[in-house]
Amino acid sequence: MNVLETKGLAKTFRIKRKEAGLGASIRSLWAPQWIDKQAVGGIDLTVAEGETVAFLGPNGAGKSTTIKMLTGILHPDSGEANVLGYVPWRDRKRLAYRIGTVFGQKSQLWYHLPPIDTFELMSRIYELDRTEFRQRRDSLIERFELAPYLSTPVRRLSLGERMRCEIACSFLHRPALLFLDEPTIGLDAIIKERIRELIAELNREEGTTVFLTSHDAGDIERLCRRAVVIHHGGIMVDGPVERLKRDILRYKTVTIRTPDAAGPELTFDSTGKEHPAALLSLPFGTQRLPSEPALLKLSVDLTVTEVGVVLAELMSRLIILDVTIEDPPMEEVIKTLYERNQEIPVFEEGTPP
Amino acid sequence: MAVEKRARRSSLLRGTLPFLLTCWKLNLAGAMEFRLSFLLTAGMMFLNNTIWILFWSIFFSRFPSVAGWELSDIMMLWAISAGGYGWASMLFGNFNRIAYLVAQGELDVYLTQPKPLLLNVLASRMSLMAIGDFLFGLAMYVYIGEHTLGGLLRFLLALFLSGLFFLFFTLAAGSLAFFIGNAEGLAYQLFNSYVMFTTYPSDIFKGFAKTLLFTVFPAGFISFMPIGLLRSWDTGFMVTTAAALLLLVSVALLLFYGGLRRYSSGNRMVMRS
Repeated sequence: MNVLETKGLAKTFRIKRKEAGLGASIRSLWAPQWIDKQAVGGIDLTVAEGETVAFLGPNGAGKSTTIKMLTGILHPDSGEANVLGYVPWRDRKRLAYRIGTVFGQKSQLWYHLPPIDTFELMSRIYELDRTEFRQRRDSLIERFELAPYLSTPVRRLSLGERMRCEIACSFLHRPALLFLDEPTIGLDAIIKERIRELIAELNREEGTTVFLTSHDAGDIERLCRRAVVIHHGGIMVDGPVERLKRDILRYKTVTIRTPDAAGPELTFDSTGKEHPAALLSLPFGTQRLPSEPALLKLSVDLTVTEVGVVLAELMSRLIILDVTIEDPPMEEVIKTLYERNQEIPVFEEGTPP
Repeated sequence: MAVEKRARRSSLLRGTLPFLLTCWKLNLAGAMEFRLSFLLTAGMMFLNNTIWILFWSIFFSRFPSVAGWELSDIMMLWAISAGGYGWASMLFGNFNRIAYLVAQGELDVYLTQPKPLLLNVLASRMSLMAIGDFLFGLAMYVYIGEHTLGGLLRFLLALFLSGLFFLFFTLAAGSLAFFIGNAEGLAYQLFNSYVMFTTYPSDIFKGFAKTLLFTVFPAGFISFMPIGLLRSWDTGFMVTTAAALLLLVSVALLLFYGGLRRYSSGNRMVMRS
C-alpha cells in the first residue's frame, strides 16, 4: 500500500531582483523586477508503507520545499499529492494527526522549559489518552536515554541532546509516516550514529515509514533502503540505496596527517614536487586527492579494497599522527551523478522492500 | 483507526480547551523561569501607565472637563485600553508578532500540528509586559470604577471587547506580510498608533479624524467605552461596536487565511521561546 503519492508536484517562488548599489534600490522602488525561481519542477513520487526513503540533493535542489508541500506547510502551484489518503494542503489538520515531522532547523521544543513540558503540550496537541501518553512517553524516554535531560531547560541542552528530544517528541503520537528534514545537521559523528539507530529501530518495530532529506551520505547508508536524488527541482535518480552505494557511494575519503611538514614521502620527491613514479606506490584501489602539504588525502574505492587494508599498508610505511575517514560530500556525489546522467539513462524507480 | 477517531471527536471541550490551558500554563511557567525579569518587566509597565495617569491628573487639575470627559473617565479609559491589551497579550501574545512570524517563515511548526492554526500561533506566547498592563487595568477599576454588579459586568465586557479590537486589528495589520513581504515596520507603526489613539478621549477628535477612528482605524470603539458603556449603557453605540468588531474579525481572518496560501516559509534556524 502506498502512503505517499505525488504527480507533477511543482512550486515556483517569485523573487525580487535588484542590481547592486543605491541607485538600483531607488529604481526598484517604482519599477521592481521579479524573477520566477522554480524550486520544485513536477515531481512524480510513490512511497510504500514501511519504506525508508532518502530524499537527497544539493542545497537549493528543492528538498525542503517538497517536504513542506507534503506536510501541508506550502501550497504547490500545480500537481497533486496524496499523503495517507489526504491532500496535505487541504486536509492539513487531519493529516497532522498521522504524520510526524522533525525539521533540523525548526524546533518544536519550548526553549525556556524542560523537554518534559513539551511532551505534555504535545500530548494535548495530539489529544492523546492520558494513560497511553504516559506509557508512550516513558518508553521513549528510556529508548532515547533522555532521563538525565528531562528537567533541564532546552536552552541548556547540547544540540545532540536537543535533537534526541526533538525526535522522541515526534514519535509520541505514533505517526504512520515520519518526515525528517536534515535531522543530523550540525551533530557530531557519535550522536549522528545514535540518532540513525533510533530511527531505524522505530521503523523496524513500529513500521513507521521514514522520509528523510539529508545532506549526509551516512544518513542514507545507515538508515534508508531507497534513495531519490533530486537536482534543479526534478528527480534525477530513484533506486535502492544498495545500487547508489555500489555506483556512487563506493568511495571513502581517507585523510592522513604525518609529522613531515613537507608532506608524506610516499608521493613527493625531495624537491617537493609530485613524483610520477611515487604515485605507483599508492595502496591498491586508492587515488590521491588534492590536499594541504602535510596531509595525504586518498579516495578509497570500496569495491576493490577496504579502508582497513589501506590503513594497514600506510601504517607500515608512514608515521601517522592522525587519520580521518569520511564520505565524499553530497555535492560531489550529485556532481558525479549528474555527469553520468548525461551518458546513461536514469535508474528505474525503486521497488519497495 | 484510533487516530482518525481522535481527529473526528476533536472538539472545543475535549481537544482545543485542554490544549489552550496547557499552552497558557506552560507560557506562564516559561515566564517564571526568569523571576527578576518577570517582576521588573511587569512592574515597569504598571509604573509607566501610572505615570500617564499622573500627567492626566495634572492636566485635569487645570481644566476639570475636556469635551465632557472627567479625570475618572480618562482613568477608566486607560483601565480598558491597558487591561484589554493586557489580557489579549497574556493569552494570545503572538498577535503583534504575526508580521514577523510570516516574514521570517516561522509558521512551519504550527502548520504541522493538528490544531487550529491561528489559535495555536496566537496562544503560543505570553507577553510579560502585558501582565503589568492587565494588573494596571484591574487596579484602576478597583480604585475608581463603579463597584456594583452592573458596573463590574460592564467593565469586564469593556475589557473583553477592547482586547478583541486590539487583537484583530493588529492581526489584520500583521497579515499584510503575506501580501507585501516585510510588513513588520508597517504593522508595528499601525499597532503603536492604535495603542496611542485608544488612550485619548474619542470626543476630542472631530470631522475626518473622528471618521477614521470609527472606520479603517477603529480605535474609537475602545476610547468611547468610558462614556458609551461604563457611564451608562448606550444601546446604539454597543450595537455599532458589535457590528464593527464582527467586520474587523472577518477582515482579519480573511487576510490571514487568504494570505496563508501565499506563505513561502523560510530556512532560518528558529525555536519557540
